[in-house]
Amino acid sequence: MASYDPRVNTNSTTQNPPPPPPPPESAPSDMTAPTDGAADVVAATTTPNNTNDEQTDSWKLKFCTVCASNNNRSMEAHLRLATAPSAFPVISFGTGSLVRLPGPSITQPNVYSFNTTSYNQMYEELEEKDARLYRHNGILNMLDRNRNLKWGPERFQDWIPGQPRLEHISKGDKGAQGTEGGVVDVIITCEERCWDAVVDDLMNKGNQLNRPVHVFNVDIKDNHEEALVGGRAILDLANRLNESAMAQRNTHGSAGWENGSGAARLSFDESVPEILAEWQEKHPNLPALWTLAWL
Amino acid sequence: MTQSPEQVVDQVAQLDAARKLVLGDAALYPQIVNGILPIVGANARLELRRWGAEFLAETLASPILATSQKQQLAPTVLSSIQETLLLPETDNAVLASLIQTCASMYPLIFRHTVNHPGDNKTWETMSAVKQEILRKMDSFPCSVKICCIKFLQRVVQVQTPGLIADPRVRPPTQIPAWSPDAQYFETYNMQRPDQNETSLAVVPRNHALLSLPQLEAESSGLLDRLLDVLQEETCNPLIVNATLNCLAPLIRTRQSIANKIIQSIMDFFPTKHVRPPFTPTVRVGVKSMERTARALLFNVMKKNPGHPLMGKMQHYIERLMQSRLETAEDSSRKRGPPAEPTDGLDQTKRARLDAVAPPPLKIPPLPAGPTSYDQLFTLTQDIGLSSFDVKQLPPDIVVKIAIPLLSQVNPALLTQAVDAIRSRYETITKEQNHKRQQLHQAATAAAADDDDDYEPDYEPEDIGDNGPGEAAAIAQEEAELEPDLVSLGPFVLPQPPPLSEEEASEVGRSAVSRVFGMIDAVDAASSSSSTQTKPQQLGFARLAGSTFDREAWVVLLTRLATRAPAGLEIDDKVKAGSAGVKRHSTISDSIRETLYRYILEDFRARLKIGITWLNEEWYNDRVRMKAANQERTDADDEPTVTLYYDTWVLRLLDGFLPYLDSKDIKILVRFLSEIPEVTIAIIQRVAGLARDPERITLTVQALMYLVMFRPPAREMCLNALEDVYQTYEESRPAAGKVLAKWRPQALPAPAEQASTNDSSNPTQPAPSTEAQAST
Repeated sequence: MASYDPRVNTNSTTQNPPPPPPPPESAPSDMTAPTDGAADVVAATTTPNNTNDEQTDSWKLKFCTVCASNNNRSMEAHLRLATAPSAFPVISFGTGSLVRLPGPSITQPNVYSFNTTSYNQMYEELEEKDARLYRHNGILNMLDRNRNLKWGPERFQDWIPGQPRLEHISKGDKGAQGTEGGVVDVIITCEERCWDAVVDDLMNKGNQLNRPVHVFNVDIKDNHEEALVGGRAILDLANRLNESAMAQRNTHGSAGWENGSGAARLSFDESVPEILAEWQEKHPNLPALWTLAWL
Repeated sequence: MTQSPEQVVDQVAQLDAARKLVLGDAALYPQIVNGILPIVGANARLELRRWGAEFLAETLASPILATSQKQQLAPTVLSSIQETLLLPETDNAVLASLIQTCASMYPLIFRHTVNHPGDNKTWETMSAVKQEILRKMDSFPCSVKICCIKFLQRVVQVQTPGLIADPRVRPPTQIPAWSPDAQYFETYNMQRPDQNETSLAVVPRNHALLSLPQLEAESSGLLDRLLDVLQEETCNPLIVNATLNCLAPLIRTRQSIANKIIQSIMDFFPTKHVRPPFTPTVRVGVKSMERTARALLFNVMKKNPGHPLMGKMQHYIERLMQSRLETAEDSSRKRGPPAEPTDGLDQTKRARLDAVAPPPLKIPPLPAGPTSYDQLFTLTQDIGLSSFDVKQLPPDIVVKIAIPLLSQVNPALLTQAVDAIRSRYETITKEQNHKRQQLHQAATAAAADDDDDYEPDYEPEDIGDNGPGEAAAIAQEEAELEPDLVSLGPFVLPQPPPLSEEEASEVGRSAVSRVFGMIDAVDAASSSSSTQTKPQQLGFARLAGSTFDREAWVVLLTRLATRAPAGLEIDDKVKAGSAGVKRHSTISDSIRETLYRYILEDFRARLKIGITWLNEEWYNDRVRMKAANQERTDADDEPTVTLYYDTWVLRLLDGFLPYLDSKDIKILVRFLSEIPEVTIAIIQRVAGLARDPERITLTVQALMYLVMFRPPAREMCLNALEDVYQTYEESRPAAGKVLAKWRPQALPAPAEQASTNDSSNPTQPAPSTEAQAST
């Protein structure tokens, strides 16, 4: 763990500077333009955390990706969202009871517990067990990707929404910037079973925060190729959603509300079914599902 | 209060830093919140108001801030919110956050008011804010409206009696406000605010500000308003989903209104609320509402498996799924019937749209002579068609063809055809009755001629003995006619040819392999649905094999192996045993063999099956021994019973022992403790594990467990342990400890220890004979 933390940190610092100016600058708004310009000034003059400030300053939707084991599909999507040109705040979870990775045969999966096993640990253990096999079936590559993204798999059912996640930022988890409050605006699951589990679990959690959250499912088969395709599609969905949410945020006040036209007239939340329908037409092979739930 | 953009940005950066601070240390919240309120108040710039509203929503919902502290903050925050709301605030983001804050705050203020009946100002402010929200709710844009829905749900939850968790809390109605107990009650609740969830149930009946009937009436009205969206003519999926998703806590924690809520969900069918055209957006909406409603009811059913509305809920979910199919079909139907030719030339293919009476059906006459069922029901004259054997088609294809065909059959034609068959049938029966009567008459007439030739004890009713030729002819004729009779008597299936022994065991084996297949199938099914349903625990009410789950199949299989052929084998043995011929393997042996292999394939997971099996074997051995004892006739005839348990327990143990590693102590201990009988042979094998230095601890721990928790096997285990102690030097530290406690005399005295290091201990007691078996 200690050996891998520094690497992650260096990675994140090399990764962070490139993001091009976020969309709001191009949006025709007299409110945000000076703000962003000023943010650059602040960023240049204040603390070493300047890159973070720049990122959090431009408001974005916060995402959460979920699959069964928090290893393949949700982590591919996590990677996509966290490293996109307009990097999104993102956290990720699994809904299974245990982390299950393929083993030597179908009846002998490698099983780990959530929240307490790091990706690095799994990587080293499997490499020792049978490096050839696990390199050949892509498990090691996957774990290598994951350990550069965050510390270890987390279980959705153990997540306490609203619990601060400062330690994930200090650990250097990718996409952690902006998720320090422990809440998200959008949850995207990768399998209907997981969607069911998430919706059910949110009901069980009692909706304590009174905060709305859009829960999507994008059905992705659990293999590396499909995860790649699905991750790209999820990023597409995220961009569309974020664009709409930003548009709403920029047309503030009732005056702006009346003046908007078309989709902008709809509030972001209201336009979600439309956005999803449009997205679905572009990705007919990834059946999608949505609901509005509560954190 | 005008600020330049730079100042605002500076301030936001400072505020962000402050937020990081409280996220790291919740104790700082009161200080920071009080410091921030003036900066982000009603008259601040938009960015600051947005930031502030979001921060307040986060603060009052935060799971790291104690409820008591939130309660102290709430009144101050509330007045600031009221100011902002009354401006009026117009920014959606600020509004949404503020209403979220109110939803989190409502129970806090409510509790505060319960505890401070004198603070009428705070409660009045809260009520004013509540009225403001409720008044404007319908005019707010959707993104704010959904937050209002959640606020509504919170108010209903608070203003409906909940459960009093702690029985020591006296019902508040019994405590007069002036009594010292009221004081106690107040401090009690103050000290342990989480003891009882905030609800109408914690309000004293004579509270100065909170009038129970009024609050309850209000909440009932608000509940109706909340559920109204499910009944509206056209529905917005966003609003409906927001409502459905917040109902679960109400159903779970508020008994008095749960059924009403469930009822109104069950009256809700998304497909009824949408009008064509079914755009992709509408379809996304309908699907989401269906799935959300389903998820909510599943949640209720899972939480409360014995719910009185269980059946209805299941039925509703089925209907919901069906109605979804219909909409799906709707969309495919919209393509229209392409079968209609547009050129109008192809008359034969043109669909008959007008209701013309079908041409009368041509009924071919039945061929002469006896009629078969085939002929009776054949109306077509097409030879190819009537000679076609439908049995050649697989049943599923027949079903696929038959059902659409049936739906397209012209009813008039069908009636004609049925009538034709009926008249044929009646004609045949009439003819046959007539024929039979004639035969009967002929027979009796023939019999009447020579009565005395009849044997007195043999009285066939109608067939005379004297005319064998004639009678035989009649019998033959009757036999010929018999199968044609439509009014047949009971049909008796002919006995199948007897199976040879090989065939029988082959069939038996295939049956067994199917049962194994069931175990795997149930395995797969249960693992896929494990996230959804938890098997109900039946406890003592459980009957072996009553639930048709994996367990049941395992029990079935083990009993098949042990009990089913029990009696049969003994006979076998008696016959074959004397000749000294080894019996060829019986079915039960092959089941045992398969079971053995099945368990070893994955013994860590399937050990439970093994234990079940061995218990059945042991029990069966007992039963058979008892039976054999009862059966024996003379005292000296020792009954011989093959004991399967001993054989198989050792085989199984031998099977997996080599694969046990040092971490498998739980598996070994479980096996040793749950098998019905521990024998010396078993213990020896366990002790043999100590040969491997890595597994010495495993051996010692397993033996120690048996020593401690299986008294009948204690002596045996101690002997084994002593043996291990003597033989394997590496075991001494661990085994020594156990022996020191249970059999100190086996250890060499500390002084001698060095000298007697390698020689065997002379004080070692002989293995006790009583401890041979333990059950």
